Amino acid sequence: MIELFDVTKRFGNDTAVDGISLRIEKGELCALVGTSGCGKSTTLRMINRLIEHDGGEIHLDGQPVRNFDEVTLRRRIGYVIQSTGLFPHWTVARNIGLVPRLLKWPKGRVRERVEELMQLLGLPVAEFADKYPRQLSGGQAQRVGVARALAADPDILLMDEPFGALDPITRETLQHEMRELQARLHKTIVFVTHDMDEALALADRLVVMHQGRVVQQGRPIELLHDPVNPFVESLLGGMDRGLKEAALIRVSERMLPLGPRLLASERIAYGASLSQALSVMLWHQVDRLTVVDEEDIPIGELSLRRLLGAKAS
Amino acid sequence: MGEGRQRTNWVLLSLMLSAVAAWLTLDAVSVAPNRIVPGSAYTAREVMDGWPALLLALPMLAVAVLAWQPTRKGLRLALVAVVALLTLLPLWLSAATAVLVESDMPRARVGIGSALWLLLFLLLLALIELRTRLGLSRPMGWLLLVPMGAGWWLALTLWLEPLALLREYQARSDQFITALAMHLVLVGAAVGASLVLASLLALAMRRHAGIRRAGFGVLNFLQTIPSLALFGLLLAPLAWLGSRIDWLSAIGVSGIGWAPAFLALLGYSLLPMVRNIHVALEEVDPAVVESARGMGMNRSQVFLQVRLPLALPVVLEGIRITTVQAIGLTAVAALIGAGGLGTFIFQGLGQAAMDMVLLGALPIIGLALMADALFGSLSERLRPGGAA
Repeated sequence: MIELFDVTKRFGNDTAVDGISLRIEKGELCALVGTSGCGKSTTLRMINRLIEHDGGEIHLDGQPVRNFDEVTLRRRIGYVIQSTGLFPHWTVARNIGLVPRLLKWPKGRVRERVEELMQLLGLPVAEFADKYPRQLSGGQAQRVGVARALAADPDILLMDEPFGALDPITRETLQHEMRELQARLHKTIVFVTHDMDEALALADRLVVMHQGRVVQQGRPIELLHDPVNPFVESLLGGMDRGLKEAALIRVSERMLPLGPRLLASERIAYGASLSQALSVMLWHQVDRLTVVDEEDIPIGELSLRRLLGAKAS
Repeated sequence: MGEGRQRTNWVLLSLMLSAVAAWLTLDAVSVAPNRIVPGSAYTAREVMDGWPALLLALPMLAVAVLAWQPTRKGLRLALVAVVALLTLLPLWLSAATAVLVESDMPRARVGIGSALWLLLFLLLLALIELRTRLGLSRPMGWLLLVPMGAGWWLALTLWLEPLALLREYQARSDQFITALAMHLVLVGAAVGASLVLASLLALAMRRHAGIRRAGFGVLNFLQTIPSLALFGLLLAPLAWLGSRIDWLSAIGVSGIGWAPAFLALLGYSLLPMVRNIHVALEEVDPAVVESARGMGMNRSQVFLQVRLPLALPVVLEGIRITTVQAIGLTAVAALIGAGGLGTFIFQGLGQAAMDMVLLGALPIIGLALMADALFGSLSERLRPGGAA
């Protein structure tokens, strides 16, 4: 659990972070969003004390972070940044094993842990262990970055725009993997991004920051429905909010069992989102879709009325 | 590129055509009855009725033809031809010497003419070009020079006794060894001391912006003083020190000699060294340093495991530049009695004996090239993630 009480940071005369209070529960993925310069990265880096806060208090599991030795503190917190920050002169395996080695784990245990993580992140050991970072693609490098952050099994993970430098397709793949990873590992994650779709897709809780203050926080759906002011509304997509919300709802939540009518000719996977379903309807100019499972077997149907009805619930 | 046929290699083509032209028109060799009398020069065509010269010109033309529409196989063939030519040059010179120097001329001196120098130079350039085109490694490049080295060694030990350069060397071989050793000691001491001092200075500069500004100001100023002037400036204070402090004069500190030479070399070496070390340490990717700190490395771990290894190739680059520069500058230091290979250059200039100048100049060029290659390949090897 991470708690911030009235935390402030000034750089000279500029107030980067202006008295923010936050509470991030254990196992929660909290996304900090906002325009550039809103103080979200600064907030993140105050948690592992790469930047020291000027006022207020930051607690980890009830203990002020200032009570920890900063080096010990950082070894307990995973850290992932946009440019990966992988050491170019070390192999992938050595990069991943960094924190366990700093913690003086026995050699055999470090090797086991590195191989375990490489498997977890879909990096075949035989192929990647001895490669150098410059031999990796952007997506592979960021997987190594995440593996390195997870190496010593920290409870907390800080991620500063981890997928920001990737192409859209790789980014989406990694977001998907991230969701699955989090479902298994239940880390407490603070995730900074300026990509609203990414924040909506990943976050349990969304914190919107503006000019060093928290403007609004809550579940993504809550923010979409009740933005407190026009700034939050436009940040969340303005007129596109309907589609953004539809992107958060699975087809399986809204479909009806197969009825007596003929199967509709166009199909949609039950795991797809309502926005994708709507797009298929628009494209084929139909108002009814057959919902299929992974094996392409029809399991239900989705009508435009049902799809729209979802909005009212 | 795929089908192996490439565009005309104009570099190789023009190198070879110039080589043929120089070889057939310029003076290749000169013979003088003794050291004083000016000798008579011969072009390659005038030696042994000219047929060996024409025979040597053929492979040059062949390489030029291969360069017209180069294939990989053709370039390999060209490489063989160039290496063979380089090996044959000393043998040709030996044959020419045997023919031109008659047995009744015991003090005869054979000089190497401009054609031969130029040919040597052009062929070495061609070798570099071919090595690059064929993507051969540096060590392979050095290996290609072995046949040429063997050729010269054979010629010098067996047949080239009348070569003026060799005669100059034989007349003062002890002096030569001493001079070479002095040269190496001066360069080594200056580069070594400047490495230590520059490291300390660069570390201090990283801590304090004030030292950084002042330091670079002073070093830049030092660099602009002409070398002879700096030697002159050091003369008075060192002479004074040497005369006042006994132990300093006991180790040979005076206005002339090794002390001012060493200090001047040190002064000149500091700027490139400090600049490279400073830049190397500063230019390590901030993201890498930030993630190192974020992962929980302490200050000394960040410096020793991340910053320093990443900076090392650039630091070595600094050592390379400094060493090459110091090897050249030490030649000038001979003027203030510091010894070194420059002694031969200035003595030779004084006596108008070009061969003696060469006796000093050639090893200096050789040393500079060797230092350059050594540190260059070391720096390449240490590049992050570059070791295959």
